Amino acid sequence: MRWLLVLLGLAGQLAPSPAQAHEVRPGYLELRQTAADTYDLLFKLPALGEEFRLALYVTLPDDAKDVVAPRALFAAGAYVERRTIRRSGGLVGQSIAVEGLSSTFTDVMVRIEDLAGTTQAERLTPTKASFVVKAAPGVSEVAATYVRLGIEHIVSGMDHLLFVLGLLLLVKGGRRIFYTITAFTVAHSITLAAATLGAIRVPEGPLNATIALSILFVGVEVARAERGETSLTIRYPWCVAFAFGLLHGCGFASGLSEAGLPQHAIPAALLFFNLGVEIGQLGFVVLFFALRWALRTLEVPAPRWATSIPAYVVGVAGAYWTIVQLQPLASAFALRVANAS
Amino acid sequence: MRRELRKATAISTVGIAAAFVFTQMSEAEAHLVTTGLGPFYDGVAHLFLSPEDGVAVLALALFAGMSETATSRAVIIAAPIAWLFGGILGLHVPVLPLSPWLTIATFMVLGVLIATNFRLPRATSTTIAIAIGLAHGLMNGGTMTATSEPVTVLAGIVSSLFVSGAIVAAMVVSLHAPWTRVGVRVVGSWVAASGVLMLGFALKTIA
Repeated sequence: MRWLLVLLGLAGQLAPSPAQAHEVRPGYLELRQTAADTYDLLFKLPALGEEFRLALYVTLPDDAKDVVAPRALFAAGAYVERRTIRRSGGLVGQSIAVEGLSSTFTDVMVRIEDLAGTTQAERLTPTKASFVVKAAPGVSEVAATYVRLGIEHIVSGMDHLLFVLGLLLLVKGGRRIFYTITAFTVAHSITLAAATLGAIRVPEGPLNATIALSILFVGVEVARAERGETSLTIRYPWCVAFAFGLLHGCGFASGLSEAGLPQHAIPAALLFFNLGVEIGQLGFVVLFFALRWALRTLEVPAPRWATSIPAYVVGVAGAYWTIVQLQPLASAFALRVANAS
Repeated sequence: MRRELRKATAISTVGIAAAFVFTQMSEAEAHLVTTGLGPFYDGVAHLFLSPEDGVAVLALALFAGMSETATSRAVIIAAPIAWLFGGILGLHVPVLPLSPWLTIATFMVLGVLIATNFRLPRATSTTIAIAIGLAHGLMNGGTMTATSEPVTVLAGIVSSLFVSGAIVAAMVVSLHAPWTRVGVRVVGSWVAASGVLMLGFALKTIA
């Protein structure tokens, strides 16, 4: 009983606390190159009514001139300023700052798009109120950036890792595991490329709900396998891995589209993003087997009830995400039905 | 000799724990790394980027691996649990930054035990693991009070401690050639030597 109380106390500590809302909205600065020396500038700031705005001002290089007079207006709780500027030689290598940022708690999100469609994203904070406009990155820079993005996407996306964990728990035997993981990898590589290049388009809401459902499905199958039952998934896990891998690839593609693609190096970015995803996935698989080997070597006892825990963790997480993802879809459907009637 | 060393170990253990119970006064400085992958991974990276905790975990795992399997298992399970409890406690109770002394004590105790290949009884080994886990967890918790989502960071630290500790301990357990175990003892002597070196620096600073 005492141990139960201690465990309950610990669980209370580990329970997530409610998220706190941001008190200050961020600003937004966009620079879109329209000609070799010309840029359209959009600067958006949070405003109070139609009079008060944050005292933040964009500081451009001294030799950058306004082509036409700046236009500004208050709209929907924001101050919006539009300018068209020209600087001989463009803005690459030049420093741009937001004056007054250091005395606020606000961030300013920055997006720069050059003529080739290459984007540079920056986040200015009170401690970092300026940035330098970069030239379009070379292949090595694209490789490093997108490999890192791929690794980040898979390690921070618990849904993909839980699905892989489910497969690893489901499949026994080295060769079968190799085939299953390969099937998942091949499938998600196909749809990642297809979705990124615009060959297929899957709406995000149903896609995320189906990905969540795939985790729930694999959790149920792991629990069935633990009980000694059999099914198509248990007998031919690579088929299911391939089918759901196609969906997960579309999920990876949405992660890649959030980051943006350099228009001059789309194939390289796609290749290296996928490589990053595979590195992250392989790292997870290696870690899983290393830990399993370590626990066996140390003869850590696994009670009968404890062997089912991973299956239930995967299944419960899948069920939770499915409900979360279905909620907005159900609301939208209900609204449509209400409107129709 | 064996009895005396056991006594000395017990004294060191009590010393580490007592130092922390009686010296909880002010807030420690934060020294957590930011990976950009969120608080859990910040915690995971912490052990690999903070030598005072990383080497302590390595030494604990080597010590566990050099012990018999049952002791090894107990150490590997007890240390992360103690670290977690210490961390949660450290979040709520201000802890005096005693990092150099804690590091010196951990390195020297574990380093000497590994280098001499001294087999302690399971209970003593587990007590040492709990003491080190609690003390380091307290320090981590104390430094994380200003961090957002400190419990998630702590979960990351404890997860990486368990996984890396178990893997290293299992690797040492699976070593059979005598020279390989000598190699582990050499690493233990380096850990102890680092502790002695740090002690020298600490005493010089005081002087």
